Formats: sequence, structure tokens, C-alpha cells
Amino acid sequence: MPRYFIDSFDGDTCFIDNEGMDFADDAAARYHALDALPDMARDEVPDGDRRRFVVSVRDQAGEVIYSASLTLEGGWRSAPNGLARSGPQSPPG
Amino acid sequence: VTDFEPLIKALARRDEVSAAERRLIENLPKRIKSFRKGEELVQEHSRPAESCLVMHGFAAREVYLRDGKRQITAVHIPGDFVDLHAFLLKQMDHSVVALSECQAAFVPHQDLLRVVDEAPHLGRLLWLSTVIDGAIQRAWIACIGRRSSTAHFGHLICELYLRLNAVGLAEKSTFQFPVTQEELADILGLSLVHVNRTLRELRSAGLITWKGSTIEILDFDGLATLSDFDPSYLNLVSEPR
Repeated sequence: MPRYFIDSFDGDTCFIDNEGMDFADDAAARYHALDALPDMARDEVPDGDRRRFVVSVRDQAGEVIYSASLTLEGGWRSAPNGLARSGPQSPPG
Repeated sequence: VTDFEPLIKALARRDEVSAAERRLIENLPKRIKSFRKGEELVQEHSRPAESCLVMHGFAAREVYLRDGKRQITAVHIPGDFVDLHAFLLKQMDHSVVALSECQAAFVPHQDLLRVVDEAPHLGRLLWLSTVIDGAIQRAWIACIGRRSSTAHFGHLICELYLRLNAVGLAEKSTFQFPVTQEELADILGLSLVHVNRTLRELRSAGLITWKGSTIEILDFDGLATLSDFDPSYLNLVSEPR
């Protein structure tokens, strides 16, 4: 099975995969890269109104063959009532 | 060391086990069987006439979904009676597989029944072991449902260390846990790549090392704090039961 390296960035921490993992083919590597995005988001959201989660797949030659991102974009559409809403939130911009 | 030593150690950590009770356990008739990694110790929907005690290696309870995804719902270590359930359930609602090379002792239900009748206190200790299994399941549900990936991962490592330590299989903050990252992902209910990320975080925080199948906890208190780990649920206190 070929080896793939899946790098990821959760908006704070960049993880460069030096060890790599064996997958059946490119499609399997893509599946596992995408599968990580919801887990990364679950660990960090809600934490502000903007965040971008990125994964990318490198092949054995070191070439990026696939990348994907998941973007959070939040913002008030009208002035919020009260300050004590649940969870950490940014003040209205 | 007798075959039942890990079980006796696990029970003796929670209450006094008398010499007579020890003899009753050691004299239980048993059928010993070895399993390769991935083989089933107990099959789903079967109606076992014996209960199975892990003697060496690791076993897991697993649930497969129709799409092929798997959740490992429990990890069992030497000394765990993995299907004491079947004693009362009669029909198994899940399967138990070898998570590593594994050796198990199968004890006929009729002999367990006899021992429990002869020594009710021993019966309560075996009951306690299934109650602790339930406590571990609660801790896992809380981890899967609510904890961050790092806290969940750290929680698992703290738990495994203390459980293995209780049966004499972990010392000086080090233990063997021969699982693949895929299996780890199925234990934690996380994606393979995120498990990798999380492991890397715990390593770079200086909390653990993981080489081959050897895990060393470099800072137990730090790991326990990060994971919000409270060992009470493991009942590692000797008191009258």
C-alpha cells in the first residue's frame, strides 16, 4: 500500500505529518483527510466567529495531491440582546 | 503464577480475598484457548455455557455498523471476566474479539454457579467486577460525548495504566498496548487522522511517549489534569463489599 502524509491546520496548530500512513489508494487518503475535518472542528468550535480548518494530502514524492478546508463564518445580523449568552462569544462587531 | 492470578489480584485490590475463596477460584475447571489478533472469543447471538476470562493479552467488545464502521465499546485486560454477562444474559448481544494475541480461560457456568453458592462474598466480588465494567462504560460515554479529543485520549491512557497496574502488568508509568492507529480510532470514536494529531499533541506537551506498543506516561498528574481524570470509578480501594 502506498504511503500518504496528511497535514492539517485547525486555525491554531499546524500539524505536519512526518510519519505518514498507508492507504489503499488516493481515494482512501482523501476519505481519511476529509474524515478528520469534523473532529478538528468539534474540538475548537464554538470559539469565535471565524475559523478555517485545512487538511492536505501529500504522496510519497512529497507532492500535495489533495486539499480541503472547512470554514466557519459567523456574525450578528442584528444587535444581540444581553451579554450573557451561553458560551464564549465575540462582542458585536 | 496460576492462570487466575490476574483475576485474584484485581479482586484483592477491591476487598480481602480469603484463602478459601482463593482456592475456590484456583480450582475452577477451565478450558484454555489461545487466539490470534482479530479472532472472536465470544460470538454475537451465541448462547455460551461458559464464561471467558482473559489471561494474557487484550480483548475488545465491538459493535459493527451496517456500513462497515466499527466502535470498540470496551477494552479488556488480563483478569477481566469478559462475558460474565452471558452467565445471566444467556444470549450475547455483542461479540468479543482478541485485540492482540490473547489467551483466555473458559469456565463452565455450572461451576461459577456452584462457587457463588458456596461463597456468597466471592459472588459479590464477581458482581462487583461487572459493576465496575458498567462504571468504565459510563466514563467512556462521557468521554465520547463531551470531552475534547486530547482529554479523551489522555483519559484512556490514565485508565489503562491504572487497570493494568492493579493486575501487576504496568509499572513505573509504562505499559504495553499493542494496537494499531485504526483500532485506537475505533476505541476513541475519532477519525484516524485526528487520532494522529491528538497523539502528537500529547507527545509534544511532554505527557507521554508511544514507541511501538510501549506507552510511557511522563507526567501522570499533568495527563490526569488535562484529561479531567478522576480514578474513583475504577474502585481501586480495598473495603468490605
